[in-house]
Amino acid sequence: MNDTMLLSVVAGVRRALTRLVYARATLLACSVALSAWVVLDGVRVIRGSAPFSAGRSAGFALGIGLVVLLLVASLLARRRTRDINDVRAALWIEERDAGARPASFTLVTLIEALVGLRSSAAERSAAERSAADASARAIAESPLLRASARSVLARTDVSRALRRSARNQLLGPALFMAGALTVLLVGALVRSSPIGIADTVLRVVTGDTAMATPIPPLGAWQVRIDAPAYMRRAPQQFGDVQNVAAVSGSTVELRGTGPVPEQVIERLVGDAADTLTASRRERALLPTVNGEGWQVRTVATDGPFALQLSRGGRARLLIVEGRADSIPGVALLQPARDSVFRTPEGSLALLASVRDDIGLATARFELIVSSGEGERFTARTVPMGARRFAGDRVGTIRATMDIAALKLVAGDIVHLRAIARDAHPASNREYGSSETRSFRIARAAEYDSVAVEPAPPPEVDKSLFSQRMLLMLTEKLEKQRPTLERKTLMSESVRIGRDQARLRQAVGDVVFQRLSGDVSGEHSHTVGDGHDHGVEQQQGKLALSGGNVGGVLEEGDDSPVIAINQPLLEAYNAMWDAGRELEQGDPKAAIPHMRLALAAIERARSAERLYLRGKPPTVIVDIAKVRLAGKDTGATNLRREREALPPREARRAARLVVAAQLVTSDVSVARDSLAVLRVEALGDSPAFAAAVGAVLDALGRSADATEAFVRARRVLGGVVRTDAGAWSRGVPR
Amino acid sequence: MSDAVRDSMRAEFSDQTALEPFVFATAQYESGDWDSAPMLPANVIDSVARYTSLPVRPQGVSVPLSSEAVFAYPLLFLTGHLPVRFTTREADVLRKYLVRGGLLFVDDHNHDVDGAFHKTVREEIRRVAGPLVPLPNTHELYCSFFVFENGPPTTSHEMNGWGDNLVHEQLDAVLRNGRIAVLYSSKDYSSEWSFHPDNKRFLSVDNTKFAVNLVVYALTR
Repeated sequence: MNDTMLLSVVAGVRRALTRLVYARATLLACSVALSAWVVLDGVRVIRGSAPFSAGRSAGFALGIGLVVLLLVASLLARRRTRDINDVRAALWIEERDAGARPASFTLVTLIEALVGLRSSAAERSAAERSAADASARAIAESPLLRASARSVLARTDVSRALRRSARNQLLGPALFMAGALTVLLVGALVRSSPIGIADTVLRVVTGDTAMATPIPPLGAWQVRIDAPAYMRRAPQQFGDVQNVAAVSGSTVELRGTGPVPEQVIERLVGDAADTLTASRRERALLPTVNGEGWQVRTVATDGPFALQLSRGGRARLLIVEGRADSIPGVALLQPARDSVFRTPEGSLALLASVRDDIGLATARFELIVSSGEGERFTARTVPMGARRFAGDRVGTIRATMDIAALKLVAGDIVHLRAIARDAHPASNREYGSSETRSFRIARAAEYDSVAVEPAPPPEVDKSLFSQRMLLMLTEKLEKQRPTLERKTLMSESVRIGRDQARLRQAVGDVVFQRLSGDVSGEHSHTVGDGHDHGVEQQQGKLALSGGNVGGVLEEGDDSPVIAINQPLLEAYNAMWDAGRELEQGDPKAAIPHMRLALAAIERARSAERLYLRGKPPTVIVDIAKVRLAGKDTGATNLRREREALPPREARRAARLVVAAQLVTSDVSVARDSLAVLRVEALGDSPAFAAAVGAVLDALGRSADATEAFVRARRVLGGVVRTDAGAWSRGVPR
Repeated sequence: MSDAVRDSMRAEFSDQTALEPFVFATAQYESGDWDSAPMLPANVIDSVARYTSLPVRPQGVSVPLSSEAVFAYPLLFLTGHLPVRFTTREADVLRKYLVRGGLLFVDDHNHDVDGAFHKTVREEIRRVAGPLVPLPNTHELYCSFFVFENGPPTTSHEMNGWGDNLVHEQLDAVLRNGRIAVLYSSKDYSSEWSFHPDNKRFLSVDNTKFAVNLVVYALTR
């Protein structure tokens, strides 16, 4: 064996040892990764969560972890393999030489010398090389050393030693990895098995024959609702639902496949059920075999209840929301209000709308006529406008009531209402009725209407304007007086005087109209009519009579006390004076009287001003308030701790939280809990029930139910949250 | 003028300003119904207080047009339904008021160009102040505080077809030295603005903003 072959054998061993280090590192990395996987799965299963390996990202996470571990392992292996060289390989061979104990190290010495000669040519300087080469060459060419090294190689079975070493180093990590892999595969197999391999194995091992026959847990079911016959509705079929609504009296049939459920319990839910004893709150139903499956029946009631079915170690709930058939709703549209008729004649249109949740059967108007007075009263009932419905949910009934046909007399009272029945067959079934209207025939002696007649325009205002016009005309005439002939002046002045006289007469009429209310009636009052009612005429003018200096007139015992508007009397008299001056062609002298009259009318107008809509309030604007500079205490509202929930809501909140926690571990259980919670809240807290329904919807769609949970909790606590509003100044949303 | 004198004048002027807030005055004339819009003054005062920092008296006054007391008020509001005939004294005082720089705002409460108020009061204005001419919708009155690009704001009474069933595009005015002396409106602001100011909160747009322009114009031009 020459030097080259010797080095080749040693180099082969070195490469084998290096590969062995890498293989061991790889196996250890894989083993660690699988072991971590198993531990994580185990922890999650113990905590009740879904296994880690069941997730979609399991493979991805495993790959990432494995790559990281392999990188780490390769780095560590690389550091170890740096020390493995030909000399170490020769030493490893010499250690396996069973014929030389202790080792002679001849092979190591020879390989070291040969390696030194090979490397010195490239790495050392000439001086160093010459000195080292001489020493190495002396060692390498030693015949004894060569013979001894060859004998070492001849005695050692290198291949066998390498296999043994590989077995020793790789077997442990390989077994470790195989064990972890086995646990993972068995776990996945058990989870994916519909019948439970673990149980099967357990039953076989324990020898329990009953257990040896596996019972599958409840799977999907079918629900059929048969409404009561009077509803005339086709049966309703539902798939694998969790809750159904049914009218009271409906038959609820539940069908499934596989063996008959071990236990079926019908349990009332809700606050009312909490007050019952256990025996009255729940009862066991007997499921029957139906072909290859099973079925169980029950009848819906007015309230909600739950069917709890158990089989194969799993229980499921079906919530039946029973509700009562409500009585029809009736609204009387016409007549819209009560009334009183003067005479029992004419006709009255009747109109009512009816509706029912299931279907209407009949509807009609009903009149109750009450007659008599004192202690003698009679009443009779008159049906009218009856109509049959063929199960319609909404309808209208009309009728025309002939009042004369009712033969009413004064004082009779008619009560009118509309009633409707649905098709419910119970003999004691309630009927729906509208509110009652009543109308009455008025007695002859009563007067129960109020007539409002529009008031005439105030006379004083018209007189004011007229007097002002006359004054202006007179002033104009007086202004033109120097340029006018006497004849023209006289005619114009007389014309104005006639108008002044007419206006004075009008003012006088106002005065006397206020006394009697009628200037042309039988007992009318006019100027100079000869009556003395506190005002008397003296030389064309009016004056208060002697016993009435205060201007207050009493018109007999039954008449109200009327105050004479004294300014109007003054105006009347001033007009008299002005008219006299005008008739004499002296407008200048008439003007002061006319101004007096105008001022008097103005005073009378102010005194008599009427505010038909009420006198408007005197508004004083609060400037500080308008400018938002008013009272400011500088104190802001403090945030207060939210009040504790009432006991019932607190219990529901706790159940809601538990259900939310269950969602992450067992969705089906969480849904059952929420379904029961929802149906319990239907009666007293429909908003919360709707919010829980939204949670169930979200869970049914496998969507994120966090928002729905939060909303349900807020509804339960009465927390009102509004959307953040935009600033009113137009900040974009 | 030294700074001390200027400061003292400024202080005196500011004191006078502080002591004399704007007072909304309603002209009380002898004919007709001068008080037909009783809630309008409070509403205008509210708007002036709401939108400006002008000192303003919280309650308006009614001033007889025949009294020289009107000279104390830079803006006079006159409205009514009935015919208007100024007395000689009223005409004289009003004439002096306009010469001294007052602004008379006349509004036809009938919103009717065939109405008695419209016909008579325009005759009286012509007699006292001269003829009314259409005021351009670009006049500075419409941008003296708020900007009304389309001229005088339309009232609901115009839009609802009451009165003369017309939407008046412009106001009329008597101008003196480039300044409005008499402003005449057929738009019936008397009805539009005559409501309790507390009810402004029910309006999406405050319809009394134009009154602020009137007040600001009367005080600053």
